[in-house]
Amino acid sequence: MGNVIAVISGKGGVGKTTTTANIGLGIALNNKRCVVVDFDIGQRNLDMILGLENRVVYDIVQVMDGEASLSQALIKSKMNDKLYFLAASQTKDKTALQSEKISKLIESLREDFDYIILDAPAGIESGYEHTIEFADAAIIVVNPEVSSIRDADRAIGILDSKSQKVKDGAEVAKYLIINRIDAKMVQSGEMLSSSDILDILGINLLGKVPEDKGIIDASNQGKPIILNPNSAAGQAYKRIASRLCGEDIDMPELETVQGSFLQKIKGIFK
Amino acid sequence: MRNKQYSVKVFETTLTDEDQFISFFNTNYNLFKDYLIVIHGDISQKIQEYLQEKELRFVNNIILPKSQGRKAVEEEIAVQKEQQQQVENELLKLSDRLHNNLKVQDTLVRSGQELTIDGDLLLLNRVNSGATIIANGNLIVTQLVEGSIRCFGNFMMLKASPKANIVFHDVVVDNSLLKERLNRVELKDNEIRITPVLKETTWVM
Repeated sequence: MGNVIAVISGKGGVGKTTTTANIGLGIALNNKRCVVVDFDIGQRNLDMILGLENRVVYDIVQVMDGEASLSQALIKSKMNDKLYFLAASQTKDKTALQSEKISKLIESLREDFDYIILDAPAGIESGYEHTIEFADAAIIVVNPEVSSIRDADRAIGILDSKSQKVKDGAEVAKYLIINRIDAKMVQSGEMLSSSDILDILGINLLGKVPEDKGIIDASNQGKPIILNPNSAAGQAYKRIASRLCGEDIDMPELETVQGSFLQKIKGIFK
Repeated sequence: MRNKQYSVKVFETTLTDEDQFISFFNTNYNLFKDYLIVIHGDISQKIQEYLQEKELRFVNNIILPKSQGRKAVEEEIAVQKEQQQQVENELLKLSDRLHNNLKVQDTLVRSGQELTIDGDLLLLNRVNSGATIIANGNLIVTQLVEGSIRCFGNFMMLKASPKANIVFHDVVVDNSLLKERLNRVELKDNEIRITPVLKETTWVM
């Protein structure tokens, strides 16, 4: 029975889709069968980030409407044969989603995969509500800034009231990823620190990802940054994926600047 | 002092048409000769002479005190009893509220959530930015408040919360007045008073 994890953020542009792609690939690298599903109907991006843009034939709405079978629509990744992808429709909009059809689709995905990662749309409208409806767990992606935190807080509130698991009396597991941390800015006090964010949101930390300029190029190339062994962000995603697969991995401190000799001397006199 | 108490028969009338008035008293003279006549309206010379001639005793434009019948008195007593019962019920309800209507919550209140409480609330977690709490009773929040708070109770206890929007009985409370670990905000003599309850811990370096 697969584990359904929704990747949510509330605010747009914080790195949900990048996180989804990297975690999906990371889980597959841990030798688990994983499918990433793009729920951002009408604005699909995940296909590009996974480098599968030209392979999309059928999309999720066509599967739900019975126009294509699930096996026809699932696209196997070029990078790892344990990773599959289900594209969002680019022509339809959010109204194409219906609870019963989503439930049926997710149940059949559960049978075939260990991990089902759902990439939620930004915002808190019906598209978002449908994404979290049948999720067992949610990964909340935030940036260390106030508007992202508040939107995430709102999204968690909706998750806690509208998901099917909560309606059944259970609790949805919630994990936090703090994305795009700039160590220098945290130290100078311009950016919220992780402990502040954890205080505000009151959920468990899954991982921290540093700001990395390489992500833009990786997205453009369609090669998730997790494949780059020299990237700090890639390594952070690798650790996060392993933690999701049940491994106990230390959380390295990303918020202190690994400074030069001069900075260390300055630190002594602080 | 010598006092006497009488019950007097009174005939009350309003004067509009003088001729009609005179003819009425002419025909009913025997009936009204022992009555005190109360006349509303202006009495002209003609009427005054007529009344004096007939030796009718009258007063002009006086509102008479009316004694109540037994039934009316009983009704009034019943109303009073009912009011007293209502007050007692209200008090009962209030004491009930004080003992049983305290809600304790330890989960945090997230952005977009609105918590409305009829009684008292003890909140052991944060109120995040964008969240709203409306308490019709007393309110105690032990953690940081960044959202908005409306309280209509006798008092509030709050931590120093520079980002909060606090309204106590429709009056906006200045955040800078809440300085300590826990502050009591209360209404006394129509004035909002803020007193520190728990001081901020300061560590000896």
